[in-house]
Amino acid sequence: MVDDGRVQDVQGGLDDLAGEAAVLRVYRQAFAVLAREAEKMILSPQLLDVDEAILSAFAASGSDGLTEEQVRNACRAFPEATVSRRFEVLKGYGAVSKVFERPNERFYRAAFAPYIMLLFLRRIAERGGQSELHQLLSMEHESVSAPAATDADGRASVERLTQVFRLIANELSIMSLGADVAQLRENAQLLWGNEALISRAERVHATVLERWPALDRECQWMRAALAAYRDAIDAAAGRLIERAGTTRALGLLPAEEWRSFARTADTARLGAVLDTFVFDAPAPWFDPQVMTEAVETGGRPDTARMPPPRPAGDADAAGEPEAAAAVDQDGIRSAVEELLATREFIKIEDVLRVAPDWASARRVLAQLTAAHLDPALPYTLTWDEGLDVAESASPAWVTPGRLTRDQEAS
Amino acid sequence: MTTPTTTDPVRSKKHTSPTSPSRPTGPDDTALAWARARAGGPLRVPAGTPAPAGMLRLPEPSGDVAWLVPQVPETADTRVLAELGLAGPLLEQPNDTARLLAAVLRCCWEDPLAVIWPGTSAGSAAVLAVFGELTGPRDEMAHRRSAVAALRRLDQAGWLLWDETGDTIRLGPRVALWSGSELTTLRQLWRSMPEPASLPGSAS
Repeated sequence: MVDDGRVQDVQGGLDDLAGEAAVLRVYRQAFAVLAREAEKMILSPQLLDVDEAILSAFAASGSDGLTEEQVRNACRAFPEATVSRRFEVLKGYGAVSKVFERPNERFYRAAFAPYIMLLFLRRIAERGGQSELHQLLSMEHESVSAPAATDADGRASVERLTQVFRLIANELSIMSLGADVAQLRENAQLLWGNEALISRAERVHATVLERWPALDRECQWMRAALAAYRDAIDAAAGRLIERAGTTRALGLLPAEEWRSFARTADTARLGAVLDTFVFDAPAPWFDPQVMTEAVETGGRPDTARMPPPRPAGDADAAGEPEAAAAVDQDGIRSAVEELLATREFIKIEDVLRVAPDWASARRVLAQLTAAHLDPALPYTLTWDEGLDVAESASPAWVTPGRLTRDQEAS
Repeated sequence: MTTPTTTDPVRSKKHTSPTSPSRPTGPDDTALAWARARAGGPLRVPAGTPAPAGMLRLPEPSGDVAWLVPQVPETADTRVLAELGLAGPLLEQPNDTARLLAAVLRCCWEDPLAVIWPGTSAGSAAVLAVFGELTGPRDEMAHRRSAVAALRRLDQAGWLLWDETGDTIRLGPRVALWSGSELTTLRQLWRSMPEPASLPGSAS
């Protein structure tokens, strides 16, 4: 999009100046999203999120524009101070400007260039800029093949591509010389392995050379840049393969490479990849070493698991709940004994109906059930069939049953 | 679980196999045999069947049947799984199962200097006695339970042949896949284990 303002050298003078000013304006707008404050670059990706939120607020606002307060309200998910600081930066770079240029204007509008820049940034961050490079190459090829293209277009195109490939080749060869392998593997995947990239660039090169043979010097530079890129790829690949050794490091190639191979290869070739990957029937394999270890660790009785040593303080903590349970047990026992008195059993319905209100009947029932469930207490609760209904009584219905004191335990 | 010949669908189909013993093995038969072995483990075939490419043919001592065991090159066997960091087939109670296989090895591999296949058959009492030595003192029921579970697992995977009605145990065809260096390790293991005849309760 920076190319939009390409200088037209047909007319000189003021037109030139106007064109340059237009380029500068778009350039400043586009890079506003990268600026933390005037003259400084953005450092944290969170600020990009804030920018995106501000720009999407403008996108949603319609043709009226937004006041600064409305923008802050729309971006209330972010800290207000950050939002207003970003708003100032965007304003300073001209990415956000007043709807009408007059004092006391409260409504602002946003330019589209910064948002496109954001999209590019995110894509490049995700895929390392490779698909952008492919698109750039297609665009360059189209522009040099266009009937209206002049030799100046061809020269500019070739020069741009030369620079791109020089930059990539330098980065790659510096990395393959100096960086450690892990770093190389991480970054190199995004930079190398692009025969398609090179062949596209060569197609641009061939078109330019055929149409404008006078540009042979520029084309020579481009050939050199491409060769340097290819050498850098080989060096990086050589270093990686040397370090990868015999392990089947499938991460050696970028995932796209595997995917396109899987799509384009014929069945025989695809099958050949797995020739060495036939595994034995899905049955466990016994490695003699493992067997020996299993046998050696087997017979020893002292390998029985010991509880891990506890800190001394733990003893108190462990003792406490037990004591609490014992108190509870005693409480239940005394409560049940109180109900039983001298009898061997009591009827549940009698006990519950005697209780003054529903809540206390419930408490009694809970105690009887607890007494039955506690194996340490000699009480058994048995329920009969049926339902005893009494309209005026406190629990309106009761299932009859009896609580018995176990003979042998008491 | 009954005898392996009736439980395993692949093995039980051996006589209905269209592969005639006289015909040389073609690529289709090879692929078929590999697929069968992949699904069902070692194949039991009539004795005259030629071995498909890459398969090991192990004749039974009785002479009328043979086993076909897939033998992949060393660069493609289960060690590759470890190299790739992938999990192999899940094995329950791996330690007890390995101990039981060691016990069977001690009982059925009479002379550790001889070839490991086919070995001799041993009574389950002897195997259980050695297994008991390897696992250490255990509750009788727990001991028996873990032994039977391990026997079933190993029988299913072709590591041993368990004749449940005859109560005898033999080494399975898969043991022929151990390489020379692995057999050396196993010989050491063999010598470290107690002799079944010396153990009480091993008389079958």
